[in-house]
Amino acid sequence: MKCEEFDAIGLGAERDASLSELERAAAREHASACSRCAALQDSWQAARVELHAFADSTAAAETPARVEMRLRQEFRTQHGTMKARRLAVIAAWELAAAAVLAAAVSWSNWRKSQQEAAARHLTAPQNSALAPARNDGAKTNSANLQNAGNGAQPGSADSDSAETLVADNELDNFTPLPGALPAEADDASIFRVRMQRGALGALGLPVNEERAGEWIQVDLLVGDDGLPQAVRLPQQ
Amino acid sequence: MDSTAQNAISGEMGIAEPERDDVLLRRAAKGDEEAFTLLYRRHQAAMYRFALRMTGSAWAAEEIVQDVFMTLMRAPKKYDSSRGTLGGYLYGIARNRVMKHLERLPREVPLEQKNEDGSGAGIILRDPATPATWVETRERMKQVRAAVLELPAEFREAVVLCELQELSYEEAAQAAGCPIGTIRSRLHRGRALLLAKLEMLRDVPRRVSVAR
Repeated sequence: MKCEEFDAIGLGAERDASLSELERAAAREHASACSRCAALQDSWQAARVELHAFADSTAAAETPARVEMRLRQEFRTQHGTMKARRLAVIAAWELAAAAVLAAAVSWSNWRKSQQEAAARHLTAPQNSALAPARNDGAKTNSANLQNAGNGAQPGSADSDSAETLVADNELDNFTPLPGALPAEADDASIFRVRMQRGALGALGLPVNEERAGEWIQVDLLVGDDGLPQAVRLPQQ
Repeated sequence: MDSTAQNAISGEMGIAEPERDDVLLRRAAKGDEEAFTLLYRRHQAAMYRFALRMTGSAWAAEEIVQDVFMTLMRAPKKYDSSRGTLGGYLYGIARNRVMKHLERLPREVPLEQKNEDGSGAGIILRDPATPATWVETRERMKQVRAAVLELPAEFREAVVLCELQELSYEEAAQAAGCPIGTIRSRLHRGRALLLAKLEMLRDVPRRVSVAR
């Protein structure tokens, strides 16, 4: 080992774990052979003693207790704030979840009520306008039809409420349509419909042309083939 | 070796598994004040002595230690246990704070610190044999202190870490955040400067006495 190498690593060779044992031995050997480096090592050893004395003089030094107090206070403040913030966030989420739940329930109820209303709305016309009924037999009432054809107003467009479209199940007073074949009464259905008086002409009945545009209610006796067989004007 | 410094670096030495630094730090991060206090008490002395020896100022050391643990408190997740011990991490923070402090300061060296009550804080004599020895030792301690504090910051850091804190070269390199070769080089330069300064300070009284 040369003096330059000893300068670089020799003084701390014993403590330098990255040096090999061979290098340490070389440093020791050089110090024992070189008076300059031996003197340098002695000087450093003396300085180390003084450094250790200096280190010892501050070995008992510790941070004043007030620092710990300040830090603990800061810790409490910080984590207290964080805890409060976390609680606020949780509360906000809970409120939001509750609002969403309430909205969902309300929407579900509203939708259900809407569906029920729609169902009622759909079934009401069926019950009123298309109220089929099984019959035992068909009878006719040519007088009523004659009146209808001549302008009598057993039903009018003004009285078009749903209730007025409920058909009478009785088979009295039906007038057979011209050309219609008599069908079995068991297979026939009665439908109350609202139509213009002129439409009776299409069924082969006589119609007063002056009042052909009027709306009237009639009961149609419809056979199982779907064709009207008889008609009557409901009693008002 | 300075046992607190060694503990600060090793972090795990002689500590039961539930009380390891990283475990305590995780607990502290979740708001466990007791865990944070344990960590503080485990590491504060080493940090304080390092800062005190680097700055030569008790109040600066106090501020630095407080700053180090504030940083740990506010960002505990910045510490990665896979990259080193908590002690080394704290030394790194302390070192940065010390360097910032030294950069701000004018280049003057306080020779003696005073406590809040005005008493001397720097040097505690363990076994003063006689008043004359006491005075001489006290004077010499002042000189050593001045010599250390007059070293350039990087060399001073290497000397303080390796000679005063008695860390190994590897530990000092981890604390300083540089390769071990850099620590060795800085230590070599620091030793040479320190020897020269100590020699000069030793000679001044002699020259003064010879002149008289």
